Amino acid sequence: MLVKIAWRNIWRSRARSLVVIGSIIVGVWALLFGNGFMNGFMVGYSADIIQHDISNIQVHNPEFKKDYDIVFTIPNGDEKANEIRQWEGVKGVSTRSITQGMISSPQKAAGVQIRGIDLENEAIVTQLDSMINEGTYFEGIKRNPIVIGSKLARNLKVKIRSKVVLTFNDANGDIIAGAFRVVGIVKSSSISINEMYAFVRQEDLNKLLAIGSEIHEIAIVTEEQIDEALIVNKYSEIYPDDKAESWKELAPELLFMQEMYGSMLYVLMAIILTALVFGIVNTMLMAVLERKKELGVLMAIGMNQKKVYLMILIETLFLAFVASPIGLLVGYLTILYYRYVGVDLSNYSEGLEAFGYSSILYPYVDGSVYIIVTIGVIITAFIAALYPAWKAVKLKPVDAIHSI
Amino acid sequence: MEVIRAKNLVKTYNENEIEVHAVQHIDLSIEEGEFTAIVGPSGCGKTTLLNILGGIDEPTSGEVFIDGKEITKLNDNELIDFRLNNIGYVFQAYNLIPVLTAYENTEFIMLLQDWPKEKREKRAIELLEKVGLKDKLDSRPGKLSGGQQQRVAVARALASKPKFVLADEPTANLDSTATTQLLDIMYRLNQEENITFVFATHDQRVMDRAKRIIRLDDGKIIDDKKMD
Repeated sequence: MLVKIAWRNIWRSRARSLVVIGSIIVGVWALLFGNGFMNGFMVGYSADIIQHDISNIQVHNPEFKKDYDIVFTIPNGDEKANEIRQWEGVKGVSTRSITQGMISSPQKAAGVQIRGIDLENEAIVTQLDSMINEGTYFEGIKRNPIVIGSKLARNLKVKIRSKVVLTFNDANGDIIAGAFRVVGIVKSSSISINEMYAFVRQEDLNKLLAIGSEIHEIAIVTEEQIDEALIVNKYSEIYPDDKAESWKELAPELLFMQEMYGSMLYVLMAIILTALVFGIVNTMLMAVLERKKELGVLMAIGMNQKKVYLMILIETLFLAFVASPIGLLVGYLTILYYRYVGVDLSNYSEGLEAFGYSSILYPYVDGSVYIIVTIGVIITAFIAALYPAWKAVKLKPVDAIHSI
Repeated sequence: MEVIRAKNLVKTYNENEIEVHAVQHIDLSIEEGEFTAIVGPSGCGKTTLLNILGGIDEPTSGEVFIDGKEITKLNDNELIDFRLNNIGYVFQAYNLIPVLTAYENTEFIMLLQDWPKEKREKRAIELLEKVGLKDKLDSRPGKLSGGQQQRVAVARALASKPKFVLADEPTANLDSTATTQLLDIMYRLNQEENITFVFATHDQRVMDRAKRIIRLDDGKIIDDKKMD
């Protein structure tokens, strides 16, 4: 009966209840969309970096990353790469020879990381070919082709077929310079790819470095559902002298950012739900004060304080139960829609790209967030009901009955 | 058998630091089966006395015993339970629960008392039949006339089989036809089922039916007369 009375009571002042229900719907929607939007930023950013730059796992000689000294290669790197390619859960493996150097055009010079890549496998692992914005992916220029990022090209004031000179130390410590011709310019939301890398064929670089067919890095991309740690552990067990690291160790700032963005959900929730608490308290308090006489009568005829309290609590929870599913549905549909079409932020693209973000966001909300938001709204309604319910039970029947 | 016993009841209000003596040293005893009207001019303390006898209000001093139990010593929750199980109320403004039908309003008290469904259903229908509203079981108060609402209130008051029914100006908002119908019902219930009714009223029609009239003035009983 309490449930029946509570349910009917919330529809007595239809407009007022609808306003609260509407505000809960908007709150839930805003929470989901806000979270989806932030995830879109974060997932897009992380995915770009993992997919196009660092990959899921990298293997190095443990000494290599200290100073990027080219003598620290991975022994039998190619054979190891071939072996890993056969492992379950591994989608692609690419090898790289890497050195730090200078790139110079007739106008300017810049420091870069020169990456000698295995063209075919690099396309599988980082999809470098798909990022070509101008020119081709190492086609059309036979001798020493080079692919550079769009911002680097802009800085050096070079175009397709322009000549650039790479200067670096070879394995003997001698300074070597090699002339390369720009075959392709890549554009990515990754700052590293746009500005800091120069991609050349592995054989061209290795020749200049005088390291034969040695490599410095094995980049591994895994299947989506695979935990990188499994592959890392497997590799470390077989080749304990090499250093295998997942993206979490390679780019701890990404993990930190993901955690930070994760906690933003709770900050956003706290802000929105706090606002909702005040809205619900206001409405329920009005409902209680308007029904003062009726509540007095209920207590006079024998409805105890516990039941009166419960009735107000149920009424408030009903508002949340009606509004939450609608808010969740509207939020879900909005996320679903923008997940396919994306949120176009191209008006702000320059600013976003400067920070390595993509100009089109694909909002994404984890399934657990729907549950967290639902629980959050129910707790909010519960908290919001406490004061009005307390006010109700504190009414003195004799005063309440004779109130107007 | 004595149902209500009031001893030296005093109720004093402090309004704007001025003491108002609503009830002054009232001693009263009401027996089972009485059909009693507490009468007097507006402000004489009828409603206050009724509220104190019904445990809705507490006296400044004095004691009230219902069926030998002193209710003036009970706390708020004990009083609510006591009222639920022992006292029926009929208010001037009907005060039915607007979101419940006539049937549900009548059944409500029994629900609070945890009666089984079949018993509730049987008694609610029986009571609404007695007050002539069997055809209005599913009507909400808003769809009923004042007289009909007051009859539902009577059915509700009787639902829990109380020791007595307190009715505060039950006819004040009713026209003469509705008043006659209501009083006929109450009188019949009193005569046939020995239900004790105590009214606070200044309606002559109620007084005409009363078997006992207690007259108040300035919070004091000035006359207490049994009618033939």
